[in-house]
This record gives sequence, C-alpha cells and structure tokens, in this order.
Amino acid sequence: MENTSQVPVTVLTGFLGAGKTTLLNRILTEQHGRKYAVIVNEFGEQGIDNDLVVDADEEVFEMNNGCICCTVRGDLIRILSGLMKRADKLDAIIVETTGLADPAPVAQTFFVDQDVADRTKLDAIVTVADAVHLSSQLVDHHEAEEQIAFADVILLNKVELVGDNDIVKVNDRIRKINPFAKIIKTTRCDAPLDEIVGLNAFSLDRVLDIEPDFLESDHDHEHDDDVTSLSFVSDTPLDMDKFQDWFGNLLRTKGQDILRSKGILNFKGEEERYVFQGVHMLMDASPMGPWPKGKDRSSRVVFIGRDLDNMNLKEGFENCKSA
Amino acid sequence: MNADLETLQKSNKTELERRGSIFNIGAPATEAVTIRNQIAVGFGDGTVRFFQSGSDPKTVKAHKGVVLSMTNYEDHVLTGGEDGRFLKISSDGNIDEIFNFGSKWVDCVASHKDTKVCSSGKTVYIWTKNKDKPQTLEHQSTVAGLAFDNKGKRLAVSRYGGVTVWKLNNNKWTASNFTWKGSHGTVTFSPDTKYIVTAMQENQIHGWRINDKADLAMRGYPSKIKSFTWVGDTPYLVTSGSSDAVCWPFDGKEGPMGRKPIVVANGGKELATFVKALNGEKAVFTGFTDGSVLLAEIDESKKPIMIRSSTGSEVSTIAISSDNSQILIGDMKGSILLSSLWADN
Repeated sequence: MENTSQVPVTVLTGFLGAGKTTLLNRILTEQHGRKYAVIVNEFGEQGIDNDLVVDADEEVFEMNNGCICCTVRGDLIRILSGLMKRADKLDAIIVETTGLADPAPVAQTFFVDQDVADRTKLDAIVTVADAVHLSSQLVDHHEAEEQIAFADVILLNKVELVGDNDIVKVNDRIRKINPFAKIIKTTRCDAPLDEIVGLNAFSLDRVLDIEPDFLESDHDHEHDDDVTSLSFVSDTPLDMDKFQDWFGNLLRTKGQDILRSKGILNFKGEEERYVFQGVHMLMDASPMGPWPKGKDRSSRVVFIGRDLDNMNLKEGFENCKSA
Repeated sequence: MNADLETLQKSNKTELERRGSIFNIGAPATEAVTIRNQIAVGFGDGTVRFFQSGSDPKTVKAHKGVVLSMTNYEDHVLTGGEDGRFLKISSDGNIDEIFNFGSKWVDCVASHKDTKVCSSGKTVYIWTKNKDKPQTLEHQSTVAGLAFDNKGKRLAVSRYGGVTVWKLNNNKWTASNFTWKGSHGTVTFSPDTKYIVTAMQENQIHGWRINDKADLAMRGYPSKIKSFTWVGDTPYLVTSGSSDAVCWPFDGKEGPMGRKPIVVANGGKELATFVKALNGEKAVFTGFTDGSVLLAEIDESKKPIMIRSSTGSEVSTIAISSDNSQILIGDMKGSILLSSLWADN
C-alpha cells in the first residue's frame, strides 16, 4: 500500500569498525533541519537539533506462520508503533543494526507486520563498508557478505587509506556480490545525508533503476557458500502463469538462500510493466505503468544469494518465455 | 459550552454525540483511566488531560514525547513516557517524578494499592510503600506487558517467548515461566485468576491455565489484537482485531478450550481496534478503525447500538467513569467525545 503519510525508514548496517558510529554522529549533530528518530543499540550520545534517540535490543523472533526464514524484529515493531503515536510527524527513522547482525529480520519486519507496513515504509538499506578491511572480512564472516548483499547503498568508507588499485579491487568485489547497490566512496562517511536518507530505494518503481551494464555476465566465484548474483534478460515476452508458478515455487523452496531479488517483467498481452522486489521468501510485486515509448520491452531479473548455480535459474527463467 | 452548541447544530449525530462534548486535542489519545468522577487521558504530545462532565479538561504537560503507558494509583495516575520518565500525577496538575530512565522508554506501568510498578527495557521496577529504592525483576527480553492479579500477590510480565508470573511471598518475588513461541504484548489475569492471556505481535491471543500451564491458542483473526476486556459473570474475554467483537467464554473447567467464540457488534468492513466492558452488565463497547463505536450485549440475537459515528480515525481508547455515568472515546487524531451514558443524567 502506497501512502504519503508513511514515514521512511533507513536501515543502517555495517561491519564492526567500518564507520557506522561516525555516520550516526553526523546524523545526530548536523544542522539538517529535519526531525529524525534514530533507533540504536547501546549508544552513548544524545541527539541535538531535535533528533530523537531510542534504545532498542535487537529481539529477533520467528513468526508462527510456517515460513521458516520469516524472522522479524519484535522490538522494532513495538518501537515503531510507539513513535507513530507522536503528535509531531517524523521526517525519517534510522534503524542501526549491530555489526554482526543479519539485515534480513529488519527488512522482513516491513513486509510482514501490517501495522508497521501501514505507517512506515522501508526506504533503503545502507551499509557502511571499510575499504581497508572489507576484502578480508568478506572471507572470514558471512555477516559482512550479507550486509553487502542486502544493501541498496554502500558507503565505501576510509578510501583515503587505500590506494587507487585497491579501491578498484574492492569495488569489483562488492559488484560481484551486489550489482545494483549504489556505491559512494567516502572519507569519514562524508556523503551528503540526502544521498543516504529519504531515497525511496525500496519503492517498486526504483527497481527500474537496475543498471543494464551489470546484467550481462555470470560471475565466477571461489566457494559454493559465497554470496553471488545472477541476472537474466529476455526480449521475448514472458508468460505470466508460467512465471508465477516458477517464481513462487522458487521463493518457497530456495528463499532461504536467495537474499534479494528484483526485476522488471514484460508479460505477453500486458501493456504495463510489472516490477517486483523481494527479501528471502517475501516479496512485493505490482504493475508499474506502461513501457516508455521507443524503448525495448525487455524483462530483467536479478538474484543475490548463495548456491544460485544449483537453482536452475537460467533454465527456469528461459522456460517462462511465451511460446 | 461552545462544544455543546457545535454538536447540537450538526445533524446525523448519535444520541450520545448530541448530548456530549467533543474536544479536538490534535494528538493521538494513547491511554485513558478513570479516577473517581474524572477520566484521565494520555496523548501523543506528552500531555495528560483530566476530563470531567460540565467543565473544560485540565491539561498537565507531563512528558516530552508520547505518553506510552498509564494506570490509576490511589487518587493519581502513573504514567510512563518516551522521555524515560515514570511519573505520578494528581488531577490538580502536581507532577512527582518517581524515576528517570534517560533514553530508555518506560513501556509499561501497573499498580496495586500502594505499590507502583513500571518496566523499562528488560527490567521491572517495584516501589513499595515507604521504600525509596525499587526492587528489580530481570527478564531475558524487553517487557511488553504488566498485570497484577486482583489480590496484588502475583505480577504477570509478558515478553518475547511467553510470560513470567512473579509471586510475592515474605517480601520475596519468585518466578514461574509460561512459554509460547513469539512476541507477547498486553497481558491480563482472568477475574478468577485461573488464567492469564496475552495479545501477541501476530494475529492471535494466547492463554494459559495457571495451575497446569495448559495452552490456549486463540487464532483466526485478520489483524493484530490491540485490546481486550473481561465482560460479565461468565466471564467473556472480549477482543478487538476482527470485524466483530470476539467473545471467548472462560467458564467451566476448560474455559474456551475446544469452544467457539460468540461474535457481536459487527463493523462491516471496519476492524475493531478497542473494546471496553460496561461494568456490571453483559455488554461491551467496541471501537472501530473508522472511529465509530457500537454498544452490544454478548448475545448474537441482539442488535448493537451505534453510539459514536465515524470520525475517520481509529478508536484508540474508551473509558467509563467509576459511577458508570460518563463515557469517553478517543481516537488516533485526538478527537475526544465525552458524554453521559444515560439520557436522564
């Protein structure tokens, strides 16, 4: 449900020491003239300039709905419903997650909880990455990989400490995991706040921003449990029934390994573009207006996850083409 | 009073709206409790306002941010706020700060006689008469509901994964755990104290028979249950969360186990958001997502009466004065109706 009174929520992730606290301090101390609530875990600072700091405790719980990977943040549901009772409207809410946290439960809270979905909307997942240490963290920690995989925006921080060649390398490494995130190179997280908060990156029409350059090649990777991405393009219109059968079954059976999915679809006999955006087993989809005149009507889908090679994604997608 | 003149001039009003007063506070009404002939209401702008028939409400600037929780305490109200303060407030506007938790919210409050209780984070704080320092009870996750039994000997604390029932013996509290997967919010003891029931963060309520910890899973709701109330001698636990008021019978040895609830007060397309018993009667007030309120007997053959028409904003609280003479209805936009329940008042 699109509702103009929904307050945008930015989820801020980042591995230990990457610079998340620096960014939070900037949000809390800069004279940005907006009213933000910042939901944090153990944070000593108080906001100035009218910002509100709320303590949370990352209570992740499984929904009793039979969906095995459907975990949500119970504390977030409680805090957001409290914030929505305020007399003055908040311009945005920023949710910090701890360095080792899996971003999925936070994102899923916005899909699963009706009260949260009615009054707030997931704006973007922003990940702060340490340009010096990211490569080694990706090898050692699943969480670092997941935080890159889930991101809509990645602040590649501390670039002043890294040589140009290494920046290109780490940039490529990020791109292998996540082809659609916007990468901003920063020193002390010095990106303008309006490139971080209030982006509408999770809105379905932003799916259309997938850059076609990233959609061409399959990527090599070293281990089976690496997070990678796969993307497919088709100029032949798709059959809607076939696609729904395949995609529904895919998320149901492989949703645990598919971290993010996004796509724009051209269905046979339909004038409108269809877009979807998913986190694990949960997804939103809807028609998004007619195709722009004079442009190719090509379907594009992107998957980010583990073990993608064993899901017959290419074959499954090809089979959805209309006869 | 101006508000009265205004309501008289409007047509299509219910009888209660015609004889009552409407106040537009402009901030969501979050909680309401009755103290003698007054009804205290907490708002999203941090104020607590004391409403009384025949006069304008008295406004107390209590909290910075939302009034999250409220209960009555002797002739006062206890409130917990987003500003981390736990307050005792008198109807003449006197504020006594019991404790300040800083940036931690005071999510829940409770009282029994001279005992004041609040929760902040995972800890419950208990102040007993003549003691400055509170006793503390720790839990594994954030406390989301507090309720005393009618004797004040047991305190139910809801949290992630179930409820901890604390029992007071010789000035010491001992814990007993009631477990059910999921996140548990508002909690209540049945009037006979044989059952505890919680509203979950999912579309269900969950109960336990206290003596053997038998589970009662009450499901099938289309939305979350934000409110419940005990009605009549049976008694029924009446809940919001559906297009009707859903009434679960808690009589006999088994309570609602294996039985179907009675449904009354159908709101059509609207979902019930708040329910409140009419004391001494087998009847319940049910507020809906559009702001309307129905009064219904717990009897599927009887027709409900509309007492408040749609305001366009969901009903967030209903309170009734202790002498059953006045009703107050508040919504998420801060519109308050205060009216006499009976025509000859």
